[in-house]
Amino acid sequence: MNENEPFIGIDLGTTNSVVATVIDGVPRVIASRTGQTLTPSVVAVARNGKRLVGHMAKRQAITNAENTAYAVKRLIGRRWGAAEVEDARKVLPYELVPGPEGNDIRVMLGGRAFAIPEVSALVLAELKADAEAFFGRRVTKAVITVPAYFNDGQRKATKDAGRIAGLDVVRIINEPTSAALAYGFGKQMEKKVVVFDLGGGTFDVSILDVGKSVYDVIAVGGDTYLGGEDFDRRIIDWLVFSFAQEHQAIDLRQDKMALQRLRDAAERAKIELSEGRQSTIHLPFLASGPEGKAALHLDRQISREKLEDLTQDLVDKAISVADRTMRDSGVRPSQIGEVLLVGGMTRMPRVQQAVKAYFGREPSRGVHPEEVVALGAAIQAHALLHPQKGKEVLLLDVTPQNLGIMVVGGYFATIIPRNTTVPTSQSHLFTTVQDNQSSVRIAVLQGASDKAMENELLGEFVLEGIRPARRGEVEIEITFDISADGIVGVSARDSATGTRQSITVTATSGLTETEMRRILEENLDEMLTRRQVGDFERLRDRTQAVIGEIESLAPAVKEALSRSRFGKDAVTRAEEVVARARAATAAQDLQQMIAVEEQLDRALQLFKGLAGGAPPGEKGSEP
Amino acid sequence: MKADRYHGFLFNPADLSEEVDIDLERRREILYLVASMDGWTHWQVLGVPWNASVEAARDAYREKAKVFHPDRYPGRRLGSFRGRLERIFRRLTEARDVLGDDATRAPYARRTAPPEEVARVAARQIENDARAQERRARLVRNNPMVSRVARVRELVDRGRQAMEAERFADAARDFLTASALDPSASEAKALAEQARRKASSGKARELWEKARAFELTHELERAQLLAEAAADAEPGEPRYVVYVARIALERGALETARLRAEAAVRAAPTLATAHEVLGEVLAIQGENGAARRSLERALELDEGLTGARDRLRKMRWSFLR
Repeated sequence: MNENEPFIGIDLGTTNSVVATVIDGVPRVIASRTGQTLTPSVVAVARNGKRLVGHMAKRQAITNAENTAYAVKRLIGRRWGAAEVEDARKVLPYELVPGPEGNDIRVMLGGRAFAIPEVSALVLAELKADAEAFFGRRVTKAVITVPAYFNDGQRKATKDAGRIAGLDVVRIINEPTSAALAYGFGKQMEKKVVVFDLGGGTFDVSILDVGKSVYDVIAVGGDTYLGGEDFDRRIIDWLVFSFAQEHQAIDLRQDKMALQRLRDAAERAKIELSEGRQSTIHLPFLASGPEGKAALHLDRQISREKLEDLTQDLVDKAISVADRTMRDSGVRPSQIGEVLLVGGMTRMPRVQQAVKAYFGREPSRGVHPEEVVALGAAIQAHALLHPQKGKEVLLLDVTPQNLGIMVVGGYFATIIPRNTTVPTSQSHLFTTVQDNQSSVRIAVLQGASDKAMENELLGEFVLEGIRPARRGEVEIEITFDISADGIVGVSARDSATGTRQSITVTATSGLTETEMRRILEENLDEMLTRRQVGDFERLRDRTQAVIGEIESLAPAVKEALSRSRFGKDAVTRAEEVVARARAATAAQDLQQMIAVEEQLDRALQLFKGLAGGAPPGEKGSEP
Repeated sequence: MKADRYHGFLFNPADLSEEVDIDLERRREILYLVASMDGWTHWQVLGVPWNASVEAARDAYREKAKVFHPDRYPGRRLGSFRGRLERIFRRLTEARDVLGDDATRAPYARRTAPPEEVARVAARQIENDARAQERRARLVRNNPMVSRVARVRELVDRGRQAMEAERFADAARDFLTASALDPSASEAKALAEQARRKASSGKARELWEKARAFELTHELERAQLLAEAAADAEPGEPRYVVYVARIALERGALETARLRAEAAVRAAPTLATAHEVLGEVLAIQGENGAARRSLERALELDEGLTGARDRLRKMRWSFLR
């Protein structure tokens, strides 16, 4: 491994993403090429077919709402038809369609269907490019964060997104753990810490036991569908409802552009109300008036109290999740030494009050609740890649949900319970129920319910080639393991003969391996063309510079040669080369440009020699 | 001292010579731990003394995790040692899960009280007894009416006769009295011990036979009481303890069964039936991993244990059709 190979930590957020690294032992955020630290997690396809990411995409969202994808993190790794997805389809301005297998989700942008990891990959690629501009060289090694409560499918999909973006994802880590790591960086912490992470789309709460630079997670809980987006939606609904009351039941949600403007205004009002007590929402010409009457404007005041009223149940929900997690951990609120607030939504005063009331202590906030997660990811990347240089940090995370299988009767049998420290593994003996049974199908699930149907299906695997024997005679040991990334693996072994059994896991959501390969190839093509374009521009600039230099030397050379018998044809030859180079540049012919480059260089050397004084062959004859 | 750490442990040269980026001493440690730690108590695994506090256990866990977590060896060739490191880490975590929480730590500490601790309690009892005896002896010595020496000889002779007649309880009483009269009479003391052992062994057997009778008539509660008495009567015989555990298990008194079974395993680590009954209790309590270990150990010691074999088979899961 290259000692100085650059690495990055990425917080791939629902609304905004951040990239960071560690330089000289100090973690720092990498600003984008336009100077911003937050990159909106927004991807769009413009009318001219160009892909836009980040601020560029967000800025044109109002005029191009149906081709602008935002908050796709809420969809990543989810199945088509899941309640959350159905819910999202009703309010999202962009179109969702099922994937070719009918079980995952695609986003329609500019007439092309994008898999969710592909959309996330565009955001990741943008951050990667920002990092590359910062380092001035290629960057591949990355740690990416996910909500602690993400399941296996969501983690795998995030890792796939990294792969599509050309990143080598060394580890997927949990956002609250990452925040704790950044918060504890450089401090001698010896206490139990609660991280309360209410971000744009997801809510996480983690309880950690920190000491001797070991961050040992005791329990995690959360809701992958609770965040700032939901707060915004409450404001939007309130605006839409009151508008409808005022103006003969006009439903603003039918108009995608109006909805997008409402979204922006709601978010802005929410942010303003964290500081001030009143906010004004002014949206002129929001809807066309009925039967040719004048266009309608929206003008409303919203107070902090009103917002708190509209969102009280969301705050209560977060606190009840925190309470359940505390119970799981067996830690009493009085034993907590620090409560850490992470995520933009924790800027809301009502959220801070609720946290303070529950834990009975003033919560701490980092300087930037939006940046702390990415900084932690960078610290972990540093620890994983350059351990001898890093401070001796070690993250011990847990699995957020029970992992198990479906057993007879449709019940769920837990194999690895939630809050088990990862990496971990667990084996179970299985036996055949029929004579000469040669294969068996096992459904692996994740969730909290006793009924298999109510849990998330991670995949089904088929165990094949079981040796023929009477029923009950073959014993197969199946090992389920969860990696440090929180990703599930399954392997099987015949316990009598010791032979390994082949296992085929059929993905139920996300991308298949063939699709993944196709996307990677496509990306490679695109990168290749992009690189050629870059090469062309660089070469063109260089060629023009050399031509300029040759031409500026030409008078001096001509003068020098007028006093000499030699080298007259050198000038004509050089002029020829210059003409050829010009033609190649004009035709954008990269091959020709490369071919002529060397001759051009030689002509320049010759001219420099000639203009420098002595013509060739007559050295020393002039003073 | 390092060399002594692995005293008596044979390293497989093939394991040691594998080409990995871990220094030799660490490799030895890893191999030694993987081979030994399954049989260790959680205290031993974390390297803390018996009954160490929750904080001490968590601290020790952190220190050990820093050494054995695979993340501490990034970018290095680990070969087959990666799996070993993960196993050690899992075992450490298992120990931490029990000892790092007072709710689970306290009962575990009670179950795993080391023999020294038990012995210390017993020693205090013996000391008290000895002091009482001495006091009695002093009283006797101070009594001019008693000819001590003659009386001692007489008692020893009568005791021998009783021994021959297999009246062990009587014999023990005489020898004890003799040694109490004359604490320096070492012969009487040794004989007393011998007689007492035989007496208690006979008594225990008698109690056990009664217990068996009650067991056959399904009066399990009385059977258990008698079996407990038998075990108390002859503390050196773990078979009675195993028997108690089995009766308790039959009655469904799982906690008692577990305590007794664990005591038996501690007292006689090579007694197959002790492991067997412990395994069965654990299986019923749902601690499948530990149960499987115990049952496998039982079968290792005695292949003929059909109970253990059946139980292991039952622990398999059935495939879905």
